[in-house]
Amino acid sequence: MLMTSLLILIPLAAAVAIIFARVEQAKWIALGGSLVAFVWSLILAIRFDEWGGDGFALEGAVAWLPKFGISIAWGADAVAMMLVLLSTFLMPLCVWGSFTAITSRIKEYYGWLMVLLGAMVGVFLARDLVVFYICFEFTLVPMFFLIAIYGGENRAHASVKFFIYTFTGSLIGLVGLLYIAWRHSVFAGDWSFDIAALTAFAASELTAQEQAWLLLALMAGFAVKIPLFPVHTWLPLAHTEAPTAGSVILAAVLLKLGTYGLYRFVLPMLPDAVIEYAPFIAVLSIIGILYAALICWVQTDIKKLIAYSSVSHLGFCVLGLFALNPLGVQGSVLYMLNHGLSTGALFFLVGMIYERYHTRDMDRMGGLAKKMPIWAFFMVFFVLASVGLPGLNGFVSEFLCLIATFVATPEFTEYPGVLGPWYAAIAGIGMIFAAMYLLIMVGKVVFGPFKEPATEDHHHGEHTLPADLSPREIGVLVPLAVLCIVLGIYPKIATDAMEQNVQTTLAAYPAKVEAMLAARQQSAEDTQASKPAGTGVPTHAFEEPHESLTEMFSPARYESPMPLASTPIALIPAAHLPKGGTP
Amino acid sequence: MTIETTHMMMLANTAAGPGWAGFILWFPLISLALCGLWSILRIKSKLPAWTTVGCLALAFLTTVALYVSYSEPVVIHLFDWFNLHWGSGAKAGSFVANFSLYVDSLTLLWMLFVTGLGTLIALYASEYMEPDVGKGYTRFFAGVSVFLFAMSCLVMGDNLVLLYLGWEGVGFASYWLIGYYYTKPSAVAAAKKAFIMNRIGDLGLALAIWFIWLNFGTVEFADLFAVIASGAYHTEAGGWSISAIPFLLMLGAFGKSAQIPLYVWLPDAMEGPTPVSALIHAATMVTAGVYLLCRMFPVMQLHELALPTVAWIGTSTAILSATIALAQYDIKRIMAYSTVSQLGFMFAGVGVMTTAGAAYHVFTHAFFKAVLFLTCGAIMHGFAGQLDLRKLSGIMRLRGWKVVSVTMLIGCLCLAGFPLTSGYFSKDMILAQAFTSGHSAVGWLLLFTAGLTAYYTFRVWFRVCIGPVHFEPGDEDHGDDHGHDDHGHGDHGHGDGKFHPHAPKWAVNFVLIAITVGAILAAIPYFMPSGEEGVKGGWVASMTLDSSARDGMYGVYAIEEKGKLFGADPYNAMYFVSAAFGLVGILIAWWLHLANRKAADALRAKLLANPLTRWLPTAMENKWYVDEIYHVFVRAPLWVIGHAFALIDRLFVDGLLVNGTGYLPRAVGRMFQPLQNGVLQSYAVLMAGGFALVVVLIVLVMPWLQPILADWMAGTGGAG
Repeated sequence: MLMTSLLILIPLAAAVAIIFARVEQAKWIALGGSLVAFVWSLILAIRFDEWGGDGFALEGAVAWLPKFGISIAWGADAVAMMLVLLSTFLMPLCVWGSFTAITSRIKEYYGWLMVLLGAMVGVFLARDLVVFYICFEFTLVPMFFLIAIYGGENRAHASVKFFIYTFTGSLIGLVGLLYIAWRHSVFAGDWSFDIAALTAFAASELTAQEQAWLLLALMAGFAVKIPLFPVHTWLPLAHTEAPTAGSVILAAVLLKLGTYGLYRFVLPMLPDAVIEYAPFIAVLSIIGILYAALICWVQTDIKKLIAYSSVSHLGFCVLGLFALNPLGVQGSVLYMLNHGLSTGALFFLVGMIYERYHTRDMDRMGGLAKKMPIWAFFMVFFVLASVGLPGLNGFVSEFLCLIATFVATPEFTEYPGVLGPWYAAIAGIGMIFAAMYLLIMVGKVVFGPFKEPATEDHHHGEHTLPADLSPREIGVLVPLAVLCIVLGIYPKIATDAMEQNVQTTLAAYPAKVEAMLAARQQSAEDTQASKPAGTGVPTHAFEEPHESLTEMFSPARYESPMPLASTPIALIPAAHLPKGGTP
Repeated sequence: MTIETTHMMMLANTAAGPGWAGFILWFPLISLALCGLWSILRIKSKLPAWTTVGCLALAFLTTVALYVSYSEPVVIHLFDWFNLHWGSGAKAGSFVANFSLYVDSLTLLWMLFVTGLGTLIALYASEYMEPDVGKGYTRFFAGVSVFLFAMSCLVMGDNLVLLYLGWEGVGFASYWLIGYYYTKPSAVAAAKKAFIMNRIGDLGLALAIWFIWLNFGTVEFADLFAVIASGAYHTEAGGWSISAIPFLLMLGAFGKSAQIPLYVWLPDAMEGPTPVSALIHAATMVTAGVYLLCRMFPVMQLHELALPTVAWIGTSTAILSATIALAQYDIKRIMAYSTVSQLGFMFAGVGVMTTAGAAYHVFTHAFFKAVLFLTCGAIMHGFAGQLDLRKLSGIMRLRGWKVVSVTMLIGCLCLAGFPLTSGYFSKDMILAQAFTSGHSAVGWLLLFTAGLTAYYTFRVWFRVCIGPVHFEPGDEDHGDDHGHDDHGHGDHGHGDGKFHPHAPKWAVNFVLIAITVGAILAAIPYFMPSGEEGVKGGWVASMTLDSSARDGMYGVYAIEEKGKLFGADPYNAMYFVSAAFGLVGILIAWWLHLANRKAADALRAKLLANPLTRWLPTAMENKWYVDEIYHVFVRAPLWVIGHAFALIDRLFVDGLLVNGTGYLPRAVGRMFQPLQNGVLQSYAVLMAGGFALVVVLIVLVMPWLQPILADWMAGTGGAG
């Protein structure tokens, strides 16, 4: 209990210390605090014994309001732990990256960052619904102030919109979660807000109709956070106006609260509704992927471009979750990490340009590689990671999400799904669009004839930045780059760690999907039977074995001198053999 | 015709290969790491070049060692990459795509010329890029290292996902190196275009991979071919989902290998430094599509129309780009279009089912096209960026340009299919097989294209290398912004106001001679035994024999009756027919571009003067306006849609829906605002009214509502 709580208390303690510290000490306290939190999370990660398992570790609970079954309960499974690590890993970089950018109201700034860290970690560690919700909403407060105080010209509007929009969504989500808790209290005779208990209850006891309404409510909360089309419009504004570190945290972690919510609550609690409405959500994701990508293409504000690219990218992430098979869910969780790393880094890079030129207008700059080769190197690197160049992290998760969507057909034996090739094929066009908008941006800003925006004279920062990146700025980017490479060529460390966990989360799905498909087929047959003969729906042509192909490659065709018995049937995964045994 | 099944049987227990083969991949990576180090240390010497040349030479030697020790297809596991498992027992499933290598003879054939030519061209570049020492020099060689690494992954990967890594990796290396002169807008645009065009093809490849996994349950070659051979695959998933696979693979191959409809990036890719054009955009990377189709040959036969489609697309590309090459003046661009055209020949070869012929043509083309590009590069380098064949003439007579002119002649002879050159034999295999397999229309069109090829090839050589000596320097910025003033070796001091071309030095000449010798010797394998009766192509064909490139061949399209050409076996008749076409082409070129150069200009003027024929030279010189067509029908609509979406997002989604909802509470507030008039009496009245309303609700509405609510609760509770 204490060990886990410390992870939340360390940043909060740092925040308190900052209040009493002198201005010039604030950033160092924040850096120290976040580093200690990171080291502590690493220690916890090493002691964490559910890597590769399907349970929770680091658990502990203290009764808070026993009468209502509310307790302060912590605990993490492998997925939550990865996201905790992502948050604690990024925060020191955000603090370090802000050293020169923030020149006024410094103490508050670092204080809010520390509070934000505590809240984010709290979301991922919470095992009690009330604690989860408190942390979930509390992340809004520091972010609101970070945008409202340290943001760009339009910061007031952006921060208010960000707050009200996501807060409204979360409230609807809260209503849904409270309904589950209330139904559980009626069912069990006692109140409990224990997430595990509620999950088990919801999955088995709620009616399909209730699940559908709850899906709507929960999606209202989480989809706004993700953000899913069409509730994404707060994001470009908030991202564009937020200070660099704010954008980084917003993209890297706060958006993941939404997808994490889907993984933690929606998938395990509402399986029937998820199966029913997965195609609908997938369609929204795909619209988001393509729609946001095309909007990216015509942006001239470089930060807005990357913000919209997040909308596009998170579409893949949601698509993977609703493929309802381990490939997709693992890919999706990996996507959460990878998007955090590469898009976070891109926001850092844009911030570095903004700090030097005070503009985000792509038309006013060009060919910066000439003056800033190191910056250009990192820019191209992270753009490629974001585009999904194989060998870097983005590819692994994108590929998994898409292949999972692709095979999520009723025919997929192990985990029948409700999506299929068309979903993946159309979403795949997003890969082309991603290359288009990001490379066009690179072509304009990094390459081409050198064009430097005129810096305003009234910039009187106490720090003078070198033309190219300073060692501090390089230091911020290098850890991100290293992780991009590591997760690109050895994703096994992450996929192995969550394999069991994901399967447990999906455990109920194969049977339910099959039952639903059977029911659908039954009702289709009933309809057909009730119709006069001859006008029914033709039976699926593709259910016929493909005669010519089977013949084409049957060993007999080759008039083999070798005995046919040596045909390597053993190599064929049993699941993929045609039903009715081997030929 | 005997039918190959032994290979498929062997795959069932593919042996583990030697781990040291991994060094073919690691050497380019080491080179990349060292180049990174040199760049951090700000090394301002030719060290990066020597590092890269050394590492690539080691990779080549490793490949040779692997070739020498090769006996049967092997899989070499390096480390786990995608390795996902789920379920247990009968419900178990997995998605496995490791960092493993699959080595069979096809792999070795490709790797031998990839690493061999890679080493030589890196050596050439060490001199060619000399003016950039201390500037982009290290970046250039790092890019070459990345390319070699990715290409090795592409060719050696034991599964489709690793192949895809290499596939995108070479595309990225190509992006890197085309955009090497990154301050030049045209180079940046060309790099971007190449990457995006390739991405379109890559989506096809990715979809093919997903379909393959859906249907066959594996993406590893050894297992995949075994499943296909056994015929025991998942047909329930739908016939169309299997039939789609070869067409999607094709799309990938067409993107990478610059075929219709995705060829437009390759000519623009000539914005890169010439060694890059030679290595990536002529000899190696662009043949990856041919490799893919050879490697996936069993899969390509999953639909009976797939291979004919390949044949026709290849033929159309060959003829289209040859006609464009006829009318260009930039010699490097002519070579680029000729590459597209020759790739069309190779695809046609695959399409008419001579993977041996296609592979042989890839092999010979790699040499002679590298020679041609490298000679163009030497000319461009020596004449300050001049590439216009109207402004260069008779350079053979200049001091120091003999090697360039002679090697270029040999390259041209090979490309033109002059009898007994390597290009002659390899092209003949494709042409003859077209007739043998009954695709005589393909055969005749390709023969005609071969004639055109001979013409435009010698148009370049007759114009540039012989004839009266006459040259104009280029504008120096053309192609390379070398900044010739910055370095000392150019002997064309601007002081005397006269331009002196600087002839290439030892490294360039050595590499030119070495690759030319290779191009000449590449004819020899044709006379070696191929290990199979009735199959020409000797050693190169034998390298495809033991691989998936021959699986299922003759099984699908069993050629009952061989086609004839003039009543003879096409393989024999072709020696004379193709030689005739080639010689006629060369003769016309000789007449128009050496003997009577005015005639060529007169012909063009005549065509332009006649309103009926004016379109022909105009359209050819403008590359049939394909770029413009793409712009109007693809790019512009997308651009409009993008702007429309941005507007919709701002005005409708955010404006009306979101902000509209946001204004709702305010509007409601406004509505009730008059009630707060500050008059005490009216508040009292409202209070009373409100109270009355509550009473009415409780008394009248609740009894009516209660049963409904109770019913609903009972309904949900009952199910719970």
